[in-house]
Amino acid sequence: MRALACAIALALSPCALALEAGAPLPDLAIARLEEPAQSLSLASLKGSVVYVDFWASWCVPCRLSMPALDALYKQNRARGFAVVGVNKDVAAADARRFLAKVPVTFTLVIDSQDAVARAFDVKAMPSGYLVDRKGVVRKVHRGFTAETAETLAREVEALLKEPS
Amino acid sequence: MKSLRWCLVAASLCVSACTAVAPYQRGYLARDDMALEGNPGFAKAIEKTFAAKEAASGGAAVGGGGCGCN
Repeated sequence: MRALACAIALALSPCALALEAGAPLPDLAIARLEEPAQSLSLASLKGSVVYVDFWASWCVPCRLSMPALDALYKQNRARGFAVVGVNKDVAAADARRFLAKVPVTFTLVIDSQDAVARAFDVKAMPSGYLVDRKGVVRKVHRGFTAETAETLAREVEALLKEPS
Repeated sequence: MKSLRWCLVAASLCVSACTAVAPYQRGYLARDDMALEGNPGFAKAIEKTFAAKEAASGGAAVGGGGCGCN
């Protein structure tokens, strides 16, 4: 009986707690998509309102989310809003092919070893984590629709008005 | 003997080839050539024809009395 309990525990061991609202943004250094030798430190973004978005070229709702996030970024970047797009493609070439059709101006990083996705425990594609100026996750969006874009715009506006 | 049996059960569970694929790891599964049906529209047409001709009501899905009209 004890052996069975151990087996079940082993089978469930990869389960981790998902990053939810109220949790601090993990301090990670992530390779940039265009310059993998350079990395982006999430801690360096403290003081800005940040939206960390996990996306991939094969993710159908990402075709909707990427232009919407880019528009939101362009509208608010001067006020201290940053978007970090974490690519989850198998090959960076797939991401580049997607970006040729859907160009974006915000920071793109690549997570080829899944370390970032595991740290956030991403439960759906796309997943977005809205982080306030103090580095605390305030909202988590799983999936993306036109309604998400409207909600997110309101949430970003509210967070930008908060003092740092 | 009993504990050995439990150990075997536990070992068989541990060496299982099944693994959970995280949502962010579905790049390979999302490829066109990984689809169960290469041509979903054609497969749907064949399925409808089969259900109609064979009077296989509810064979592949609900509804239909073999008339091919729904």
